[in-house]
Amino acid sequence: MATTREAVPASWVHLCRADEIGEAQSRGFDADAEGQDSLFVVRWQGRLHGWRNACPHIGGAPMAWRRDAYLNAEGTRIVCHAHGAEFMPDTGLCVQGPCRGERLSRIELVVDTDGELFVKS
Amino acid sequence: MKIVGLESLIFGVDDVRGAARFLVDYGLTPVDVSDRRGRFEAIDGTAVVIARQDDPALPPGPVPGCRLRKTVMGVADDATLGAIAAELRRDREVRRLPDGSIESIDDSGFVIGFQLAARRPFVLAGEISNAPGGVVFRPINSLGVPPPGSVIRPRSLSHVVYFVPDVVKAEAFYVNRLGFRCTDRFTGTGPFLQPGGSLDHHTHFLIGAPPHMHGVEHFTFHFGGPSEMITNGYRFVEKGYQAFWGPGRHILGSNWFWYFNSPFGCHIEMDADMDQHDASWQPREATVSADNSQTFLLKMRKKWYPGPGIPENGDYA
Repeated sequence: MATTREAVPASWVHLCRADEIGEAQSRGFDADAEGQDSLFVVRWQGRLHGWRNACPHIGGAPMAWRRDAYLNAEGTRIVCHAHGAEFMPDTGLCVQGPCRGERLSRIELVVDTDGELFVKS
Repeated sequence: MKIVGLESLIFGVDDVRGAARFLVDYGLTPVDVSDRRGRFEAIDGTAVVIARQDDPALPPGPVPGCRLRKTVMGVADDATLGAIAAELRRDREVRRLPDGSIESIDDSGFVIGFQLAARRPFVLAGEISNAPGGVVFRPINSLGVPPPGSVIRPRSLSHVVYFVPDVVKAEAFYVNRLGFRCTDRFTGTGPFLQPGGSLDHHTHFLIGAPPHMHGVEHFTFHFGGPSEMITNGYRFVEKGYQAFWGPGRHILGSNWFWYFNSPFGCHIEMDADMDQHDASWQPREATVSADNSQTFLLKMRKKWYPGPGIPENGDYA
């Protein structure tokens, strides 16, 4: 989940305003300027969680089926749309599919006092 | 048995509207689409059908989590339909449905259907290369690269790839019971299978996998040629869809490929220019690895020459 700090180091990467990501929504970010989203953020039960855009089941496979589309229709699971693995939005634990029992890699998020969302780099 | 190929694939989805948009953006033509279901056709009428995952009309998938609910194959004549029904009734239930098709289950738990092939014949030239010394050339002043805004449509449902827990048993069902031929094989992984009424390198590819992988790896439609397929792929990426692997060209089957993530719990591919084989073809066997799956892989480079506003080395790393 995101922690709140008054100020963030200049090297951290700004993502967006934290309140732009609504409940049960997800958004991908190309934080490394690779032309491919390297991480995504989901809001689940009010809290933001950041995850690396890399399914543990096959060598860092990108997970969305469309830009920012990392969740199932109900917004209750993160889904890898390569082979259908499903993950809990808050723990990153795979609960169904080819990598059951494995976890997504967490990305540490920070929200500053102005409500801006950052990721450590 | 004259099974001519895939007629349709039926998926249960949690977001009909989103899946419908995905299939239209892929290039398929929507037919009879509602908030609950829809049919999406290639030029010849072969199709993907989607319905809400809780639709009671959907058969069950092989395992929970597999969104593919049924694979429908087309057959050439009533004799084949009858022969399949008689063969499968020896050891399993075969249901005759109101539309005249038959439905049963394969040895891996996938529901399968057979109907008289309803694909519409059409004539539309595929991609032609202007090669010195060649026999067939593009018409003079016609262009090899699809122009911006040109309509690109998938031509025909091509193949489906299953993850199966017992690949020997799975292959035996299609070969011994339904008359498929193995055209090529990845050692220890599985066979490419061609039905008796098709010349395509494969309509099915089986991959032996642990039980928790049981389901579908991908499915795909044939496009008119590599230029058309790759142009369509770039348009798909520009619409926000996630590429997985490609564009490139496979070795076994020679088909051009580009794989994308999908809302169907598996990949969707665009393919073009697959080899055709008859019964005289001797199957090859290869170990599965990237080196044996792709003969080359293409990469777009948007900046490749020095000029105004472009770094000295373009975007070369």
